[in-house]
Amino acid sequence: MFENRAIGLALVLPAAIFAAALFLLPVGILLAEAFQTENGWSVSAYGEFFASPRNQTVFFRTLRLGALVAGVSAVVGYAAAFAIVSLPPTSRGRMFGLVTLPLMISPVARTYAWLVILGRTGFINKFLVDLGIIDTPLRILFTETAVFIGLLQLFLPLMIISLVSAMENMPRDAVPAARILGANWFQVFWRVILPLTREGLVIGGTLVFTGSMTAYITPAILGGSKVLMLETLLYQRVTVANDFVAASVIAMILIVMSFSANLLLKRLATARKSRK
Amino acid sequence: MMKTLILAGASTLALSAAALAADKTLTISVYSFSQDAFQELVYKPFEEICGCKIVVETGNSVERMAKIEANKDAPVIDMAVLSTHDALGAARKGLLQPVDVAALSNYDKLYDIAKDPLGDNMGVGYTFYATSIAYRSDKVTVDSWADLLSPELAGNVALPDVTTNQGPPALYMIGKAMGETDTSLAAPIEAVGEKADDIVTFYVRSSQLAQLMQQEEIWAAPVGRFAWGRFKDNGFPMAWATPKEGQTGGMNVMVMTANNGNEELALQFMDYWLSTEVQTALANALIDSPANAEVTVSDEVAANLTYGAGTVAQLDLLSAETILDNRDSWLEQWNTKVVK
Repeated sequence: MFENRAIGLALVLPAAIFAAALFLLPVGILLAEAFQTENGWSVSAYGEFFASPRNQTVFFRTLRLGALVAGVSAVVGYAAAFAIVSLPPTSRGRMFGLVTLPLMISPVARTYAWLVILGRTGFINKFLVDLGIIDTPLRILFTETAVFIGLLQLFLPLMIISLVSAMENMPRDAVPAARILGANWFQVFWRVILPLTREGLVIGGTLVFTGSMTAYITPAILGGSKVLMLETLLYQRVTVANDFVAASVIAMILIVMSFSANLLLKRLATARKSRK
Repeated sequence: MMKTLILAGASTLALSAAALAADKTLTISVYSFSQDAFQELVYKPFEEICGCKIVVETGNSVERMAKIEANKDAPVIDMAVLSTHDALGAARKGLLQPVDVAALSNYDKLYDIAKDPLGDNMGVGYTFYATSIAYRSDKVTVDSWADLLSPELAGNVALPDVTTNQGPPALYMIGKAMGETDTSLAAPIEAVGEKADDIVTFYVRSSQLAQLMQQEEIWAAPVGRFAWGRFKDNGFPMAWATPKEGQTGGMNVMVMTANNGNEELALQFMDYWLSTEVQTALANALIDSPANAEVTVSDEVAANLTYGAGTVAQLDLLSAETILDNRDSWLEQWNTKVVK
């Protein structure tokens, strides 16, 4: 783009220095702490971390909830995205606006709303009791279910947005063509829509999975200390136990999990492509 | 690169520090709550008296402690207010110096337990609070700490997380009700662990607790008296328990950072904060219960504070030393027995 490469480099330099000095370097120093012991470099901190049954529980809970939220939001997201792209342009814009609206509200406010809705005297319990489905209010708050509901609502819009933009790039006639050629709806989805929108699914899936794993506010408010996740555990290690080694270990695990999720999803997408 | 940045940063700091020193500045590190009232009742009047400027730094105790430790060699903070155990932790790390109590004209007016809670005059108590159980008097009656784990309250009680300031004292009192006064807290943690499913949540902030009470998620919870104002008028019949094992609580202290070079002004400020006038004003605003025994307030105000020699003498407090030395082990036990 630039006639002189040097000018291009010079323009990138300030931002690169800024990112390197104020982001990469501190992050590197922080993460390095997780490999340092009195006897030099070692991965023993990781062994210690995973030796604790409590940490294992927290790790698998985080993984499970992340995968569950990503999976459910993919299912719901495809339905919603398909409905949205089938609409005429004006309604599509409106629906898209409605989907993105929650993203403009602070997660704290959204999560507090769930505190009221899921409570013992909240909307859901009142509704179920009034209908006579249950006698005594269910305990939903401070359980994994509450965290799941909160995270799903928080991250579903990201999945829908990714899928909508992927579907908009899909050839208009692909679905009708498949139908005319005799494919049923399942085949249309599996052999036409899914392959054509897999990039959207990879992006959406990564965003939702990593978002759910690294969310702090929702598990802290809706789960509390009875439903610790890696993020809330990290906070506890730093602010209470002053244990920066364990905190660095958790940070490293979260980074590795985020990257692996992205690689795995990409791999899945390309595997399908090459099989065809 | 980094070196240049650090040098640049350091020289800017040095310059601004030099500029500020010219017009007498006192930098204090305090809890972030009620700062508007503190500004009005403490900082502004003091600035007029001393002809100096007060720079206020706020945050939670971990952040504030970290900052004091990071600037150990060139202290930015001159005086800080901390919980007794955080203050003792700072003292052990050599971050503090003894307070020259002889220079505090109001020192003799303090309740005895506030005078030297850490030893070596490392801190002076300026406020304390009782911790007991706030409960819905239309649903239950609470007259023992053991009631928190009773069948009547199963599924209707929240406990403070062990990581909060209220957590260990509350556990200690639950242990006391079981006939165990060992500060290892092994027995009460075990008991709470067995009943973990009956406890709605382990709260970390008293504001969170007020909301749970408001939404009828819970009927009872141990809480510091400083938060009582949030409960008493919530529209439900609320009561403050006087358990037969007694009430527990905590104290906050003022400390002087080591080698800050601003000791004289810091002492003057501490003395002002401890004065009968300021302590009365803070009590009347229902912010801090007075540590100055000469403070007199109306019955109505007293009912909302931890006030009076009688009340103070009855508090069963865990010592700062006990909390600091056992904190890690309590958390470890808690993490294996309770949150799992």
